[in-house]
Amino acid sequence: MSNFEQFHFDFYQSNYTIDDQEEGYNSYGSNENLCGNRKSQTGEQPPASGFAPSEMLLSSQSYTGQILQPTYSPNTLSYLSYTDGFDEEPPLLEELGINFEHIWQKTLTVLNPMKPADGSIMNETDLTGPMVFCLALGATLLLVGRKVHFGYVYGLSAIGCLAMHALLNLMSIPGVSHGCVASVLGYCLLPMVILSSSAVVFSLQGILGTLLALLIIGWCSLSASKIFTSALAMEGQQLLIAYPCALLYGLFALLTVF
Amino acid sequence: QMGRVGKRQASRAFSLYANIDILRPYFDVEPVQVRARLLESMIPVKMINFPQKIAGELYGPLMLVFTLVAILLHGMKTSDTIIREGTLMGTAIGTCFGYWLGVSSFIYFLAYLCNAQITMVQMLSLLGYGLFGHCITLFVTYNIHFHSLFYIFWLGVGGLSTLRMVAVLVSRTVGHTQRLILCGTLAALHMLFLLYLHFAYHKVVEGILDTLEGPNMPPFQRVARDIPVVSNAVLNTTAKAVALTL
Repeated sequence: MSNFEQFHFDFYQSNYTIDDQEEGYNSYGSNENLCGNRKSQTGEQPPASGFAPSEMLLSSQSYTGQILQPTYSPNTLSYLSYTDGFDEEPPLLEELGINFEHIWQKTLTVLNPMKPADGSIMNETDLTGPMVFCLALGATLLLVGRKVHFGYVYGLSAIGCLAMHALLNLMSIPGVSHGCVASVLGYCLLPMVILSSSAVVFSLQGILGTLLALLIIGWCSLSASKIFTSALAMEGQQLLIAYPCALLYGLFALLTVF
Repeated sequence: QMGRVGKRQASRAFSLYANIDILRPYFDVEPVQVRARLLESMIPVKMINFPQKIAGELYGPLMLVFTLVAILLHGMKTSDTIIREGTLMGTAIGTCFGYWLGVSSFIYFLAYLCNAQITMVQMLSLLGYGLFGHCITLFVTYNIHFHSLFYIFWLGVGGLSTLRMVAVLVSRTVGHTQRLILCGTLAALHMLFLLYLHFAYHKVVEGILDTLEGPNMPPFQRVARDIPVVSNAVLNTTAKAVALTL
């Protein structure tokens, strides 16, 4: 958990601003730190990342004063232009706002409805995971052999998000944003993907299919209500939140089964 | 130009949220309260000389209307109902919300004419909880296809919830004629709505059960399409046994 906290802190610290040079140096330093951290985690090592900052600073300082006369030596020219473009920008995933560690934490929270949820993980609205799950649901529905149902999935999720957002704003004292609701509902769609992929293997129209669908609906709504109540501090009202979620996921299950 | 458009949108959104805040106190409930009110909605009160208290909350009625929508959709899907002008979802939502809001407004208008002591929120709440009986009836009869069972549920469960609403309204109205007008209208609309939902949204194929042949065959025997094989066999044998005893 401490690693998670530290990573969370690092993730927000680096804001690269192009217009302010001094801040650019500071943030560049921490950015390089972050790059070093991530790369050491994934096992890649850029060549001699140690001396690149100092060289970059030197050449930048001399570069600003004399535009027309290059003061750096030619043998570092190609390397400098490469690291110039590469190191000045934040990593692509960070720029897009995709944080794999958070996505994995949220997925684990959804998959284990009995584990108490951490209320602070919903502070950032992350729509990458939900998008992936919606696409996975549509893809597995295609695999089962239904008509193409992507439109229904998106339409249902949009209307469901609006309705849940209105209800949660009415029932909770702190408000909640659209993104947060969409994110939570999207993450809790994961068990529904499991249901539709099991429809590939056997037909869901019998008693077994109905029981499985009911179980998955319960799972989804329990996870969603658990996350909502922990994030909005609405103890005692988890069942009241779980029921509208169950209705929404029931509609998704209707789409999957029939 | 963009700033002006943005500001206008923001002010419109803000006014929408300001309006939503008006509804906030009606959603402040505990699960125990909701459960208690659901059970109470099936119990007709005996004391009609004293105005009965109606809880003015909107969470329970709203959830019940959505549940009714879900049950309707399920019924339409299992019987392969085809809606030509529109979508299944739109029809279901339109029917349920239209009934809840429309009939509430109409009865509120009649109550205003008949000098009954009831507010709009209370009427919405009362009618919403009265849909609990409809939900139970439709949930059972969309899955077990027997007309006699439906009529029993219609009179029993539907009747109980109607009686409860009627009793509450009678306790809040003075004068025999007014009571008769108000409660008669409400009872008629409520019971007829249940009848309509059963017959219009769960189309059953008029057909003859395969296992029933011979002189014991009743004139109408409706079966539903696409029910699972196991329950089909069970229903067939049960219906055969019932028909043979007639």
